[in-house]
Amino acid sequence: MEVWNLIIGNPVLNVLITLSHILGGSFGLAIIVLTVIVRLITWPLSKRQLGSTKALQDMQPKIQELQKKYGKNQQKLQQEMMKLYKEAGVNPLGCLWPMLIQLPIWIALYQAIMNALATTPENLLNLAQRLYSWDVVSQAIPLNSHFLWLDLGGQGDFVLAIIVGGTMWIQQKMTQAPAVDPRQESTSRMMLLMMPLMFGFLTLMFPSGLALYWAVSNIIGIITQYFVTGGWGYLKFRSPFQPAPAKGK
Amino acid sequence: MKQPKILFLAVIALLALVVVSCIPGTAQPTGGWSGPTVHDGIIYVGTRDGRVLAINSSTQSQSWNYTISPATTIYTTPIVDDDLVYVGSYSGQAYALTIGRGIERWVYPRTGSIGAIVGTPVVANETIYVSSSDGRVYALDTTYGDLRWKSEPLGKPLANKLWTSPAIMGDTLYISTFDGHIYALSMETGALSDWSFESEAGFASSPAIDENTIYVGSFDRHLYAVEIGSNVSMWQFPQEKAAGNWFWASPIVNEGIVYAGCLDGKLYAIAAKTGEKIWEFDAESPIVSSPVLIDNLLILANESGVVYVFDLSAEIRDEAVPLETISIGADVRSSFCAHDGLVYIRSENNSIYVVDIDKGEVAEGWPVSLAIAK
Repeated sequence: MEVWNLIIGNPVLNVLITLSHILGGSFGLAIIVLTVIVRLITWPLSKRQLGSTKALQDMQPKIQELQKKYGKNQQKLQQEMMKLYKEAGVNPLGCLWPMLIQLPIWIALYQAIMNALATTPENLLNLAQRLYSWDVVSQAIPLNSHFLWLDLGGQGDFVLAIIVGGTMWIQQKMTQAPAVDPRQESTSRMMLLMMPLMFGFLTLMFPSGLALYWAVSNIIGIITQYFVTGGWGYLKFRSPFQPAPAKGK
Repeated sequence: MKQPKILFLAVIALLALVVVSCIPGTAQPTGGWSGPTVHDGIIYVGTRDGRVLAINSSTQSQSWNYTISPATTIYTTPIVDDDLVYVGSYSGQAYALTIGRGIERWVYPRTGSIGAIVGTPVVANETIYVSSSDGRVYALDTTYGDLRWKSEPLGKPLANKLWTSPAIMGDTLYISTFDGHIYALSMETGALSDWSFESEAGFASSPAIDENTIYVGSFDRHLYAVEIGSNVSMWQFPQEKAAGNWFWASPIVNEGIVYAGCLDGKLYAIAAKTGEKIWEFDAESPIVSSPVLIDNLLILANESGVVYVFDLSAEIRDEAVPLETISIGADVRSSFCAHDGLVYIRSENNSIYVVDIDKGEVAEGWPVSLAIAK
């Protein structure tokens, strides 16, 4: 725990408090700026993942060609598509790696929010032991927990849950490559729904400050995705394994 | 196919781990912040699960317990006045219980909440003064729990939240706030006095008052001395470089010397008039609890549970040397009290320790949650 605090916990906490002071005492703005910083730090990973997405989009004609060619032989189609992905050096589920990398940041941020906002006397006392001896930090304490309609130290509400879940779904849908067979299609579809639902649910359980981080992170992801890949990616893409909607007469 | 599935399962497992490790309340410590109060041989203490306990100090058995429902943490130290014991709950209600059997005499408010009560209330003139996390001070009638007044100048609370305890001098109540104010309120009406003090940094501790001067610890790692009526501080300690941490505990003043424990682990003796350091003692562990006085003896406990006894009648020296050093072997974060030469300490391992200062001994601690005596 000491090592964790030394390497991740305390730096995140102190940076967050310092940002809050610099930004006129707004803890919400500090979380947003920290989110931007985290996205900048993880940019090399995101860039690689976006590159994969772009490559997948460019491969669409080839994929469709393969689907036409091996449509009746799913095993062969899967083999050929995996071969194609391998040759192009892309991973259809590569978008998960930036998320995994961010997990320690989420935990540190959760702890930082709970400690910085000091929702209990224990948190406030523990905070004293974790602050750097910077004047800017001591001047920022105690922090204002209110931002927009949110109490950043309190649990998130349904509006925030919908924003978090919705933006996560859009971001994932934009980056999720088409499945190569019906089995993978079901996994992809489950994942596309499950992650936003899970994060929407977590928003209701965790401090709003953490959910604000998720929402802003998702929005930044959508914007960068849009500009790097030059559009909405797979957002409007329909899986070839899904039944076509009935046309009106 | 295998790699994506494994990755998917890894994400789910890690998220589950995050949820389990981060959900509020899963790592709730067992100790308590509610310090003990001793009255007529009975120790009164509040618990984290919302119980007020009365423990017979001679037999070490529980006389009664009162449970607040739904369960909530009690941070305040019980206050005994006449035949009632008063506590405030984190769920935002103040309770008056009979000292004999722990029967609820009144609760305020009867429904709803006034915001978490963290600071220990004070009782004077048949009124209990309660500071609340809604930023207001409430004055309640001690007999019936009726609201006499609440501090709401211009319809607004005094601060975002009040976790400190008020201090009384004359007919005025003084309260320090996290946003760096000291307010003076009429004990009779709750009206704000013309005078208030404002600091750039917030105040971490409750105020202590001696001879028209307020001593209070700040988040900027200084102890402030503020003369009532003045808009500038008399002094700030340390005068040059800030201390190693906050002055979290209220200081005490004795014969012109302020004794202030700091979270940097040091006890400072400071000249009350000038703010000059007389001596400092390194207790090597944060000082969370305020020191107490027994005649000329100053009792200090650090967070690691080491109790130091200083003889204040001894000639002042450059370096303070404790008369006695006694370890109770458990962490201490709550306030403690002295009664008949004994010091009662509630530890973070949820036990009560009784330190005999004359003998320099500590009796074996006994758990707070004892069975009720038949």
